[in-house]
Amino acid sequence: MSLNPPVPASGLMISSEDFLKFKEYFYRRTGISFETSKRYFVDKRLIERIEATGNSSFRSYFTMLRFQASGEELQYLTNLLTINETYFLREDYQFKCLVDSILPEVVRQKNKGDSVRVWCIPSSSGEEPYSVAMYLLELWPGINEWDVEIISSDIDTRILAAARAGRYSARSVQHVPAKWMTKYFRKIGEEHQLSDELRDAVEFTRVNLAESADTRPYRNFDVIFCRNLLIYFDDVSRKMAAETFYEALRPGGFVCLGHSESMSRISSLYKVRKFPDAIVYQKALEAR
Amino acid sequence: MAFVKQKIVPFEGEDRRDRSRDCAHLAVQLEDTNPTSRRWAARDMIDCPNAATALVSRLKREAEVAVREVILTTLIRLDDASALGGLVECLRSEDAALRNEVIEAMKLLPGEVAPIMHSLLADLDPDVRIFAVNILESLRHAEVESWLIQVIETDPEVNVCAAAADLLSEVASAKALEPLVQLKLRFSEEPYIHFAADLALQRIRGV
Repeated sequence: MSLNPPVPASGLMISSEDFLKFKEYFYRRTGISFETSKRYFVDKRLIERIEATGNSSFRSYFTMLRFQASGEELQYLTNLLTINETYFLREDYQFKCLVDSILPEVVRQKNKGDSVRVWCIPSSSGEEPYSVAMYLLELWPGINEWDVEIISSDIDTRILAAARAGRYSARSVQHVPAKWMTKYFRKIGEEHQLSDELRDAVEFTRVNLAESADTRPYRNFDVIFCRNLLIYFDDVSRKMAAETFYEALRPGGFVCLGHSESMSRISSLYKVRKFPDAIVYQKALEAR
Repeated sequence: MAFVKQKIVPFEGEDRRDRSRDCAHLAVQLEDTNPTSRRWAARDMIDCPNAATALVSRLKREAEVAVREVILTTLIRLDDASALGGLVECLRSEDAALRNEVIEAMKLLPGEVAPIMHSLLADLDPDVRIFAVNILESLRHAEVESWLIQVIETDPEVNVCAAAADLLSEVASAKALEPLVQLKLRFSEEPYIHFAADLALQRIRGV
């Protein structure tokens, strides 16, 4: 089976050399690497953008992409090449890492009466923070010993209202095990209403991550989930976000990014921690 | 135990910001013994006139990576000639980590770096010229290829030319064909130059 997309009306084609050149550049700029198996997906979107920007070849488009001072086209292409969707238990290997590896380390540093603090940003419509809550209830024995605070933030107040309401489509809950569905959801028409127990487990707040006055009160977190957000930021904004998380974490705290994101490309503030289920980033225990 | 909710309230820890945030005080806090205070000062100095001088001065002496990183981010955000001048000074530092951090910072300043790129590429110190090529690696500027061609045509140092040829394999167009061929002739005894130039030529020709 051919990996190349059908030839478009314009006759534009992405050669193997072009793909390689783009792949290397895109990886260096974003940390996202496309394997040859994604060739069809990448070529198709590249051709779309070459045509939409009025370029006549990959070479002229690549020159524009690479040297455009505003970085606008790179941003547009990044959005196009990343899938922006959320659902319950998305990238759940990180939740497994949370309960099996991260939290056991976190609580070793804690005293009786301390609580475990988790910050999810962006909140989006709430699937992620509620997934964390469900995972902890179902799979972390420590929930019987420790208080847990889950704070979930987003810049968009409408999405926060939706998150608080906790009503989801069938697609959104498709990966939730049947047993958990019965326990935590109630069907209303075509939708699924989250239980009050879980809705009450999460505090939703409005935060603009780029605004230090907004983020300054956010402190003493043990774990921050910030998945698939930084890929939409420019370089300086990514660095500022990494510094904001550094201030928000306790010494020894962890940041979990999306599978295609790498803190190492953004900031040297964190240690890379390779756990069996995921790679995460840690603020040094001795950091102040 | 259970899930608990607490309202987010203004933080009252060791770095509480009840101290004055005017520029004079921020400059003092930039020299504080507590790195957290230095980080916050470096971040908040973004709105201070002449912040670059104090930040660069601190950067050269700062041992804490976390503080250095915030200083560099503020210098990038300042995006002015004075901040850039300070970064260039740091390219000559003996501290390799600082040099690398500065190169990464300068990559984010295409508008400011472009006017001084000729002088960086003509610097008497070949290490500075290599660092300039390193900056070009991710600099978003239309002249990148021209600057690299200038390097492979004129620079006498093989390591500077090798760095430029490496980068040309990614960015070069047909304009670089002849200069790359000439580079191989100029450094006919240098196998790495041949390897890098051939790779660039192959990519330009699409073979």
